[in-house]
Amino acid sequence: MRVGVARLARGLPWLLPGRDLHLLSSFARAEASSLLDLLAAARQTTSPERRALYVQHALDEAKHARMFSSRAAQLRAERGLVGGDERVDFEDLFARLGEVGFLAFVHRGEARGRRQFEVHRDTFARRGDARTEAMFETILGDERRHESYTGELLVELAGKRGAKKALRRAAWWEAWRLWRRAGRFVAQLLFWAVMMLAFVALTPLGLLVRAVMPAPRGWLREPPR
Amino acid sequence: MAAILGISCHYHDAAATLVVDGKLVAAVHEERLSRVKNDASVPLRAAAACLRIGGIPVTALDHVAYYENPYGKLERVLLSLLRAFPASLRQFPRAIGGQLGDKLWIVDQLAEGLRVERKRVVLGDHHRSHAAASFYPSPFASAAVLTVDGVGEETSTAIWRAGPDGLICLERLGFPHSLGLFYAALTAWLGFAVNEGEYKVMGLAAFGKPRFADEMSRLLKISSDGSFELGLEYFAHTYDSALGFSPRMETLLGPRRMPGRPWALGEIDDQRYADVAASAQAALETALLALARRAREITGETALCVGGGVALNAVANRRLLAESGFSRVFVQPAAGDAGGALGAALDLAVSRGEPRMAPLVTAALGDTADPAEAASLAEALGFRARRVDDRAATAAALLEAGRVVAWVQGRFEWGPRALGQRSILALPQDASVRDRLNRVIKEREPFRPFAPAVSDEKAAQLFDGAPNDMTPFMTTVCTVRPEHAHALTAVRHVDGTARVQTVGAHGVLAPLLAEIERRALPVVLNTSLNGPGEPIVAGAVDAVAFFARHPVDALLVEDVLIERAL
Repeated sequence: MRVGVARLARGLPWLLPGRDLHLLSSFARAEASSLLDLLAAARQTTSPERRALYVQHALDEAKHARMFSSRAAQLRAERGLVGGDERVDFEDLFARLGEVGFLAFVHRGEARGRRQFEVHRDTFARRGDARTEAMFETILGDERRHESYTGELLVELAGKRGAKKALRRAAWWEAWRLWRRAGRFVAQLLFWAVMMLAFVALTPLGLLVRAVMPAPRGWLREPPR
Repeated sequence: MAAILGISCHYHDAAATLVVDGKLVAAVHEERLSRVKNDASVPLRAAAACLRIGGIPVTALDHVAYYENPYGKLERVLLSLLRAFPASLRQFPRAIGGQLGDKLWIVDQLAEGLRVERKRVVLGDHHRSHAAASFYPSPFASAAVLTVDGVGEETSTAIWRAGPDGLICLERLGFPHSLGLFYAALTAWLGFAVNEGEYKVMGLAAFGKPRFADEMSRLLKISSDGSFELGLEYFAHTYDSALGFSPRMETLLGPRRMPGRPWALGEIDDQRYADVAASAQAALETALLALARRAREITGETALCVGGGVALNAVANRRLLAESGFSRVFVQPAAGDAGGALGAALDLAVSRGEPRMAPLVTAALGDTADPAEAASLAEALGFRARRVDDRAATAAALLEAGRVVAWVQGRFEWGPRALGQRSILALPQDASVRDRLNRVIKEREPFRPFAPAVSDEKAAQLFDGAPNDMTPFMTTVCTVRPEHAHALTAVRHVDGTARVQTVGAHGVLAPLLAEIERRALPVVLNTSLNGPGEPIVAGAVDAVAFFARHPVDALLVEDVLIERAL
């Protein structure tokens, strides 16, 4: 779906003011988050060969995160902006999904990322931004390799039928996760609205607290409750 | 006799500790295992690691001690939001949502996450946990204890008397007046991340002159009885905890510094920011000295323990030792909120009649790294790995050849400092090594200093005031003796001080220092084994991944030497 949106919108996201920075930063965050999950997988797998593959993959993700955040920083500097969002998510997917489920999830993610980045690379090629196009092309090389090795490992561990089943399960898991995230988002909005109402309703109490229970000043001698 | 798991989490620096029969068995920060810097989530990984290290099954746990009381905290949050009405409109949903949706349910989260009975989870008090964490590991039979941080349930500062009868709170100051939040607001104003950038302010302060004393006296008013108040009109923590300072602070001190802008201390603008940092540091030190003198006066004790996040201000701790009237001062290595996990467990153990723990002599309380795993992974990634007979001699030879060595030995450290278990090492003579470390490996601001590790026998010859009760844990600074200033260029800060770690005969760095002493001063530059924004390395995979990503010359995991292929 995200690839479809990217394809339909083509260069649009990059033309909206500040949107390119947002996208680059979100790619950097996604790569940094993936790095954490891959290192966790490397710590948990029982196979030394797969451990090395996961660490190598994690190193690539670290490189990509850096490329995206550096490009975002360059653009920010050119526009006299500062800052940047450095949050990362760590989901410990290996522990949650098991190694086969983890590989299926990563394989799907890499394939989706590759298709998305191909769209973005083409967008920059059309706009004549050779620097950003080259950045995407470099990353695409790694993404293809990641897609390929995770697919091969998946078949090696689960067999052809098992791999297909794992990929279907990963797709369901992703859809379920998206559903839950949407639910959480709606719940947050509702909570926000209820809290605003509560805040207004608490007005008299707020005034009362200020008059009756002002903030403490100076030494208090009673022990903490 | 009992096994008690201590837990702190939900704000910053989640951690778990295990105390068995009064002995501290393990202490682990969650971030080391999750690899998320300042991870605040419920530390189930750290708890599992502590139990594994201690060989204690979860069913054998008598109690899980949580470091604070979430109900007391909710009450304070609600009251302070109501007091700040209507300015707290934006903060209200976020703060109440965080409390009701997550933090309030810690007992259930721990019971379910650890699979222990709910009734085994015991709630502590935030500042009491800090006080216990600072006193019980100290070498003192009795002491005054000063706990200073942002805020706990409602207390921001407290003075305690500690001794064989336990801890008694004598006086305390309440939110919103807080030295932690004073320093945090200035940290944010200087463009650094709160709860992470306070060290940077401390380092930056040495480059400035405290010429904003008048402005600081409006922000922080110190009374003759040692108490203090914030000029609340300059702060925003009662209604916007994300920012911490109000527009009036920008009117008073000028516009805030934009985060992420490269530093140029030769330029007027940045020199002004350094002067503000110096002024804030001076104001903090004055306030802490007033508090410590008050503690001395009302307790009559000669030794002082300091806990809470503000106790990590190593520069201020030096002044506490020199000027407060106490003959000895102790600050444990994880004095911030992570230390609450330790304090909660120790306090509960003592209250149950368990013996008090022996004085803390090492911070190596975490897990080990497997050298065989590091060797096989390194080889699979194309590096050369080989076993060495004498790791100290090997590392010394590399350092003497001007190399930078990543060093992974024994159990990882407790606290935010690398104390020789997970370190990047170099020789301290060469300023260019320091610049290379700052620029290429650590990628951090040029004004941030590196610390020396020195054998405690030789410490006094090189550093004024070393060794003392804090130097084994790097929680204070000492002045480099002038005659050695040149030889210690890379570890000497611009003000002539260094955040010294003294290493005893059994310290993990002791053989290396002895080896170096054959040809030079027994000192190494020691900085934490992590890159920018990363937690310090924990296990073998993290260590090899660090080596692959950062241009250090060699990695020594126990007796396995890993180098880049020629």
